[in-house]
Amino acid sequence: MTSNRGTVSFARVGLNYRLYRDRNVTLMQTVMNLFGRGTSRSWFTALSDVSFRFEPGEAVALIGANGAGKSTSLKLLAGIYRPTSGTVFTEGRIASLLDLGVGFHPELTGSENVMLNGALLGLSQGEMKTLMPGIAGFAMLERFMDTPVKYYSAGMFMRLGFSLATSVDPDILLIDEVLAVGDAEFQGRCYERIRGFRERGKTIVFVSHDPAAVRSLCERAVWLDAGRVRMDGPAETVLSEYLAASGGRVPKPGAGVTPREWGTREVFFEKVSISGTDGTPACEFRPGEPVHVNTVISKVSGPAVGNVILGYSLHRPDGETVLAGNNLESGVPLLTVTGERNASMILRLQALEPGNYLLGISLTGNGTDYHWQDYMYPLCLLGDRLPAPVTLESVEFRSDGL
Amino acid sequence: MTNLPLLMKSLVDKDLRVRYKRSVLGFLWFLLKPLFSMVVYTVVFTRIIRFGGAIEHFSLFLLTGLLPWNFFSASLSASTRTLLDNHRLIRSVYFPRAALPVASVIANAVHMVLALVVLELLLWAWGHPPSPALLSVVPALLFLCCMTAGLSLTLSIWNVYYRDVAQFLEVLLLAWFYASPVIYPLGAGILPSRVDSVIRFNPLSGVLEMLHSSMYYGKWPPAWCWVSGAAWAAGLLILGLAVFRRFEPSVVKEL
Repeated sequence: MTSNRGTVSFARVGLNYRLYRDRNVTLMQTVMNLFGRGTSRSWFTALSDVSFRFEPGEAVALIGANGAGKSTSLKLLAGIYRPTSGTVFTEGRIASLLDLGVGFHPELTGSENVMLNGALLGLSQGEMKTLMPGIAGFAMLERFMDTPVKYYSAGMFMRLGFSLATSVDPDILLIDEVLAVGDAEFQGRCYERIRGFRERGKTIVFVSHDPAAVRSLCERAVWLDAGRVRMDGPAETVLSEYLAASGGRVPKPGAGVTPREWGTREVFFEKVSISGTDGTPACEFRPGEPVHVNTVISKVSGPAVGNVILGYSLHRPDGETVLAGNNLESGVPLLTVTGERNASMILRLQALEPGNYLLGISLTGNGTDYHWQDYMYPLCLLGDRLPAPVTLESVEFRSDGL
Repeated sequence: MTNLPLLMKSLVDKDLRVRYKRSVLGFLWFLLKPLFSMVVYTVVFTRIIRFGGAIEHFSLFLLTGLLPWNFFSASLSASTRTLLDNHRLIRSVYFPRAALPVASVIANAVHMVLALVVLELLLWAWGHPPSPALLSVVPALLFLCCMTAGLSLTLSIWNVYYRDVAQFLEVLLLAWFYASPVIYPLGAGILPSRVDSVIRFNPLSGVLEMLHSSMYYGKWPPAWCWVSGAAWAAGLLILGLAVFRRFEPSVVKEL
């Protein structure tokens, strides 16, 4: 075993995309263009003259504004794009967490999809059979491996994708953005597994907007700016330069994770507003000031849906869950939704670590994810700086008609 | 790095599994579809237009051409869309992308071969027993698969740049069908001799005539069929591989 497995290098790499004035190119337009209507081609330089070298075992973050070339660099490392100029060199097996579960065919079962994806990743049937129990176990889908994946919830789908992509024992791990996979518990295990790779000396290349995630995972950072390397060095130094240049040290709420919404929507949030005690919409809360989450819950036509669980979760901007709960855990009667109804949660938070947080809410129940709004609502909790982050004093659920 | 045979096998396997999900007759459709079209063409060309009457067991003659034709047209239609259909996959994992259109051709080839086996049994039952010439079915199918794969590779790339390709292909296949010796034989005096000699330049003519002659007539195919089949197969396959190789890097960015 050579020690070079896990080496990554870019030597004067450049990549151009072709731009169209109109993406909808038809043969007719091409013919028209031939007759002097002018060419619709122009080039966009995504990367130019980018050079760096990562040694085995390094965890490096690629940071920069949108369109700086971070994701393009990852695609070059994964071998998906070929550079227009320069050379990209990688040694060892690569696992790319760029998009999870994309190779899955809805009609095939979980295990059939795992086998098929193994072939795409270059693993033999035998190797895949050995890995299968581990993949199913980590995704917590042992019971569902013979179910077609079209019956999976979005969370199950992503869990299987993550579990599969990280089970192949890579030398190089490519991660695009923070992986908001499944529930909070599973996300925790995802990060644990990624940290495990780092401890075992695997090379990690991590693309992120979020300073906290970069700090916790990477010791080195490369700052890309308009397709060029602006700075390369220790993560902390590069980050502070980058944050200073992008106008402020405080990350904007939601910079690290993108809000997402998913679920079957048989029952759904029709309207949501966050307000203070006086009922006016707010997102900044003083210590002790209750956070009112007012929702209008509705459902598609059909019979009433009972046993609906209304949940909340509070996250740091990097997606790390600080606390979560629901009416079931709080011992409050579950909701029955017949038509439109109001339901509100009143969170009394004690912000021991003041700052920006993201609130997510969910409607689940009867084994179904009806409607999730992850990281949707930015909250700014004011207060004095104290050692521990947040404790929940109490949560009260109120809904009409109970 | 990639295990190509395994990748191909897995993709073909997926294609075959997925195709008949939720279908009552399932795999039987590979036989039923050509049988239905055989009935239609037989009625049209023996009862209405009355020209197939010159050929004994016209239905069986038709099937000998119809099965490889169906393979050809179904493969082209399916593989033309494969790169677009799999764009997310292509943009998130690296693997040899040529495997996608080729796997769709192979999946269709599996159906064709199974149907041809059934056809051979039917031919035998109706007095066209297998002869040593039947061996030439193997090179004929090889030629056919190579040219289909070559065209599929080319079309799948073009269709990314110009969606018109898939539309145009539909029309082209309609004309191509009548310009190919599927419903009529060549060199049997059915066509005017000038038309007959022009149609021999059709890439499919050599292969279809090889199949007609070895399966239906039980004779070794004439020399021109071998030359035409081999030349088109090599030419189109090389073209397809060259086009794919040349444009694959830029197509990935277009998807």
